[in-house]
This record gives sequence, C-alpha cells and structure tokens, in this order.
Amino acid sequence: MSAVLEKAPPAERTEGERRSWAAVFALARFEARELLLRAPVLFMFVLYAAWIGWSMRDAWTTYPALQDVDRLTQNGPLLPALAVLLCANQAVLRSRRQDTDRHFDVLVLEPWRRTVAFALSVLPAVALTALFVAAQFTWGVLAPGSVGHGSVGELLVGPLTVLLAGSAGVLLARVVRSAFAAPMLLVLAFFSILFLGAVPGNSDGSATRWLVPVIGDASTKTLPSDLLGRPAAWHALYLAGLALTLALAAVLVNGGRTKTVAAALVVAVGLGTWGAVGQAGKVPAATVAARLVATVNPAKVQPCARHGHSTYCAFPEWMPRTGTWAKVTDNVQSLAGGTAAQEKLLVRQRVDARYGMDGDGAIEPSTVPYQVTVGTRWGGPRVPEFAAAVSSVLVTGSEKATSSLCDGRMVTIMWLALAWQSDPLAELRTVRLDDSVTGSAIVLSPTNPMSMTSEQTTVVRELFTAGKSAIAPKVKAHWAELTAPKVTTAKVAQLLGVKAPTGADKCE
Amino acid sequence: MTTTVSAAGLSLRYGSTRALDAVSLRLSEGVTGLLGPNGAGKTTLLKVLATAQPADSGTFTVLDHDPSTTGGRQEVRRVLGYLPQTPGFHPDFTAFEFVDYVAILKELTDREGRHREVRRVLAEVDLSDVRGKRIKKLSGGMRQRVALAAALVGDPGFLVLDEPTVGLDPEQRMRFRELIARAGEGRTVLLSTHQTEDVAMLCNQVVVMAGGIVRFEGTPAELTARAAGRVWSSAERDPGAMAGWRTGLGVFRNVGDPPAGAELVEPTLEDGYLITLDGMVAEVTA
Repeated sequence: MSAVLEKAPPAERTEGERRSWAAVFALARFEARELLLRAPVLFMFVLYAAWIGWSMRDAWTTYPALQDVDRLTQNGPLLPALAVLLCANQAVLRSRRQDTDRHFDVLVLEPWRRTVAFALSVLPAVALTALFVAAQFTWGVLAPGSVGHGSVGELLVGPLTVLLAGSAGVLLARVVRSAFAAPMLLVLAFFSILFLGAVPGNSDGSATRWLVPVIGDASTKTLPSDLLGRPAAWHALYLAGLALTLALAAVLVNGGRTKTVAAALVVAVGLGTWGAVGQAGKVPAATVAARLVATVNPAKVQPCARHGHSTYCAFPEWMPRTGTWAKVTDNVQSLAGGTAAQEKLLVRQRVDARYGMDGDGAIEPSTVPYQVTVGTRWGGPRVPEFAAAVSSVLVTGSEKATSSLCDGRMVTIMWLALAWQSDPLAELRTVRLDDSVTGSAIVLSPTNPMSMTSEQTTVVRELFTAGKSAIAPKVKAHWAELTAPKVTTAKVAQLLGVKAPTGADKCE
Repeated sequence: MTTTVSAAGLSLRYGSTRALDAVSLRLSEGVTGLLGPNGAGKTTLLKVLATAQPADSGTFTVLDHDPSTTGGRQEVRRVLGYLPQTPGFHPDFTAFEFVDYVAILKELTDREGRHREVRRVLAEVDLSDVRGKRIKKLSGGMRQRVALAAALVGDPGFLVLDEPTVGLDPEQRMRFRELIARAGEGRTVLLSTHQTEDVAMLCNQVVVMAGGIVRFEGTPAELTARAAGRVWSSAERDPGAMAGWRTGLGVFRNVGDPPAGAELVEPTLEDGYLITLDGMVAEVTA
C-alpha cells in the first residue's frame, strides 16, 4: 500500500515536479503583486522617485562625470529596501499571524517551495529599483557635457541591496516567527553599519567597510574612472552571493533539504565569500601607480588638443570638454591687454589621486609659467573659478605667483575673470567662499584660493556697474600698469576711472 | 458502494491521552457524518485524514493514495479539500484573492483556468456578488462560505469538513447544508458535527466516535434503529432513563431501557446516537 507512489513512473513525477514549480512561480507572482501594492513599499518608491528628482536636479547644468553618477544611484534604493524587508517579512508571517497555517499546511505546495516563492516575490521590486537606477543614470548620461564611464558593478548595488533586504526579511520570518524581529534587525543593522564603518583598516578605509551594502566615499572629488580603485564588481558579487545565501538558507530551514538547494547554497556561500575576499583586497598596484602618475606627472597620460592660441591637456575621459574650457579662456583672454591677449596658455587638468577617494587632497598651484590648472568638475561655480585661474595666470604669469598676491592686480584678475559673463556680479557671489559681494573674502580657484580685500571688492563691483564696454578699452590701454607687481588698488581704480579707495592694500 | 477512503488501526496519543484508539473505518462517495461528544477524537481523526498530523500507528488511504510516503502524502493533498474548525483568513484579501491563493497552493497553475475555477466555487457557495469584497468586510456566515469555497476549489475528491456549521444562525445553517449536500454529489465528504440534524438531513453514512474509538459505523437509519424500543414518553422524568428531557408538548422523552408498559415512541437519529454513546453524555438533560 505504501509503495504506490514510490513506484510511480518517472514521467508522472516530472509532471508533478513541473506543476509544483509552476505553482511556485504563480505564488511568487501573487505575492509580488501584494508586495508592490503594500502602502510602505509604494510610499518608499514614491519617496525614492522624489529623491532621484532632487539629487539630479542640477545634473543638466553641472556636467556630471558618470563615474560619480553611478555611485549616486546607491543611496536611494535603501528606501525601498527598508520597505521590502519589512513587507516581505510580514508576508511570510501572514499565515501564522492570521491563523491560516492549519489550513495551508495540508495544501499541496510544500512550505519550502512557498519560501522559494516568497524569495522570488521580491524580484519585481528589485527590477523596479533597477529601472529607477537606470533612469537616474540615463539622466546623467543625457545631461549636457557629461563625461566618463559608469560601472555596472556600482549600478548593480542598488537593486542588489533591495534583493538582499527581501532575502533577509524572508529568512528572518522563517527563523524568528515574530513581527517585531524585522524592525529589530533594522536597528541592529544600523548600529552594525556604524560599527563596521568605524573599524580601522587599510588606507582605503576600514577593513570591514565593504561588508555593508552601500559604501560612501570620504571625499566628493571626481577622479578618472580607472583611478577610482573601488572593487565594484567584487562588491556586487558579494551582495549577490549574500542575498542568495540568505534566501537559500530560508528555504533550507523551511524543509527544502534537497540536494539542489544544498548545492545552490554552497555555490551562493562560495560566491559571497569570493566577493568578500575580492573586495577586501588592497587597491591593485597598477592602480596605485597610475594614481601617482596622474597626480605627479599627468602629462604622461594626457592627450592634448589645441583650441585657438592655447593647448588643452586632459585625462582622456575629459577630452570632449576641452572646447568648453577654451571658450572660457578665449573670453577672458579677449579682455586682456598687452601680450597677454595673445599668450599661448597651457591648460592642464590636474587631480590629487594618490589616496583615491580618501581625503580631499588640495592641488598645489603650478609653477610652470602660463600653465593653468583645471579640475575634473565643471558647471556652476567651477566656471568662474577656472576663469579666475586663467586671468590670474595672464596677470601674474603663473599660478604660483598668484598665491602670494596682495595688491591691486587682484582687481584686474577678478574683472577679467568675470566681466565677460552676462551677470558678473552674480558670478562674483558664486566664486567667493562667503557668497557675498561686499567686504573681504576668499576667492576659490582650482588650486590655492586667492583673497580679496574689502576695497578690492568695492572697486570690482563698481567696474561691473560701469559696464564691460566702458572698462575694456581702459584695461587694454593701461595693461602694463595694471599688472605691475605692487600696484595699489587705489591706483588701479584711478586708472580704470572709478572711485579710488583710501589707504594701502592690507591682505588678511 | 466503492470504498474511497479507508483507515485501519489509526492510533494517536497526546501524552497520556489516547486521542485515537485503533480507529478503522471505510468511507464511500457521499456525505459521511462524524458524530461524537467533545474530546471524542473527531478533530484529531480529521487532522490525520487530512495529513495535517501523522498518526502514531495505523494506515489509511485516500482515493488509493497512501500518505505514508512524502510523494503519497502529496498525492493525498492533491485530492483533498479541508475546512478546519474555525478557519483562519487573510482579512485584507478579497474573497476571490483568498480562494485564488488557496488554489495556487493546490497547484492550480494555469492562471485563466484557475480564475475560472475560483469564480465557479464562489458561485457554488453563492458568493459571486461579494467576491471583490475584502474578507474583513464579510459576515461570519459569508466567511464560512469563503472557507468552504477554498476547500472546494480544485474539485477535490475527498472533502474534510470540521464542524462547518458551528456559529451559524439557522438560516445560514440551512444554506450550508444545501452546499454540503451539493458538495457530496460525486465526491467523498467527511463531515464532523455536533448536530445530529445535520447528519439526519445530509448524510448517507454516519460514524460515531467517543473516547478515540469508533462506536458505530453505518447508515443514519441503522443508527436510528439502535434506539428502536428504547425511547418512551412519560409524564414525569423516568429516573431509570439514560437521558430524558421535557419536550415542547410538556411530556418527558426518555432514552434507555424502558420500564415494562412504557409508552414507546418512534426513535430519532439523536436517540440512536445517545444509545450508542451509552451514557457517555451526561449533559443531555432537560
């Protein structure tokens, strides 16, 4: 009697197996729909969409580097991940909480297959997150002047975080049959992340920082994509392995002790471990060497392009932007007098990449005559900053000489840098650290900042009020006096025909 | 009639309590009533037959499937419809979603066909009009019908119903009886109940249990016949009666061994049930 089914022909067993898996997918579809329609999940996806809109609001004017945009996509998915963890956990616990276990336990689809379905049910949320990530990245790609390359590994982090959260929610429900466990896990995860982030490690940050899903950077600088040294692919592998491990562990503890599940679990653990080991490794020696070359001797790796009188050398990813820089240079140079108007400048892109994304290394001013430094970021205040760097080199001859500038030449520098703009006063506000147009202030540039006294600010403001057409001829006519070392601000004002301040220049 | 479900020597203990004691029975197509007092082992027997709980010993088959192996248990579940006592619901699901969910767990995988089947069983239990309503908005009787629809979905060959009419008002109970009677056409239904009227109106077979033991197995008429000559009426309660109660007519109806010259009356199924329990029910008094 008991051997009836054991002796069933293989064809029947296969049919039964096929039906069971078809039921798993049907249940996964049902649960996926339930999950996506849960208020917390919907709310978090709406919030996520709003966050993307907010974080990308300036993308159209800030010339994004795609190797930054890909990492920008990683924080937003934490919102749906949170909701997916809680709701997937509640979905698994639903039967127990609502006392349908007694009934469902005698239905055909075995509990471990239902767990597989619950784990699969988070996939549409993962796919939706991937869609949001793709939209955010595409926004960056389509933005005017975008440069660089995104990393698939970095882009996968968001969707994989949602997958990991869903798997954790399912496993937790199978291990701890309490609805309070998931919120407790979130609190625990929060403190773990704080702890893991604080453990000291190698030069690229803490030893364990890559164990958490989303890893931020210590600095906001933009580096060429090949110098980042982030183990993005390893990290994606680690997250995928971890998510699979949790999901398969949930299946295993729920009775799915089949050879296939056990083998898949071993593979998942292997993948996760492989990824964890891979991401924990030091930055490759080749990358370290490349970072050093890019920092110390960028000419070795930079192609150059000629625009007008000047030459523009940049890391390959930024070469399409040299034309934009040339327009700024030409505008500034067109206002200069003497030989400066025809000076052949070398505009070189420079970065401090020695420590990767750790630390905001300031770039030292160039000592090479008529070489101007341009950074890796562009748009917004970076344009007047670069213009100020160009004008300072035209006035003083080198960036290094500008560092110690403490005389009336600062007025000429700022006028040259900004007078060609449609609203120079607004640009002046942008380029000054304190966002003011009165009093003394620090003026930002791609290398060391410059300082403007209160009197110089007043004179520059008056020059802008007088208008470019009125001042430009005077600048050209008095170029030699305006750019002579130790010329006073009062003298400059007098030469340019605006009210002169009293007293000597005092630098702070 | 062909035997569809048979059990032999099913025993199960909860600690020192013997819930099932070598239970053997044979069910065939139609509705079989399972009667017995509280603690008789009815729910335990249903759980065992529904594969919700394994017996300590004994065997059973359902429509030729033996649940003693994993594969066999799955096959039994494929032909099983189970309505547990006080079934749980997912209150935020609609009636349709809940039955659809159960249908998926019964491995009805073709979406279109499954939805057709869900609509069919909801129509069968007269819930077509409220199938889009959330379960939390339905009355107790409607919920019970949702549970019955969930048991019926997939057209199971063996339907196990554990006290489905408990808590229903008379009208709902009547409606439920109709549904169960319909469900019994072409399939085997095992209906656990306290209500002898349910058995009298619905069942072609009846099993009486007490103390984990099957006390009777036969037709309702045979159960009724057990009380033939053992029911009498009297003006006063007969102290020698096993049970006795005042009827609406003002006379006492006594069950037991009648005294000489007693005025015998026509026995009912309930009388046969009481005789079968033979004093095991103390509360059945006026």
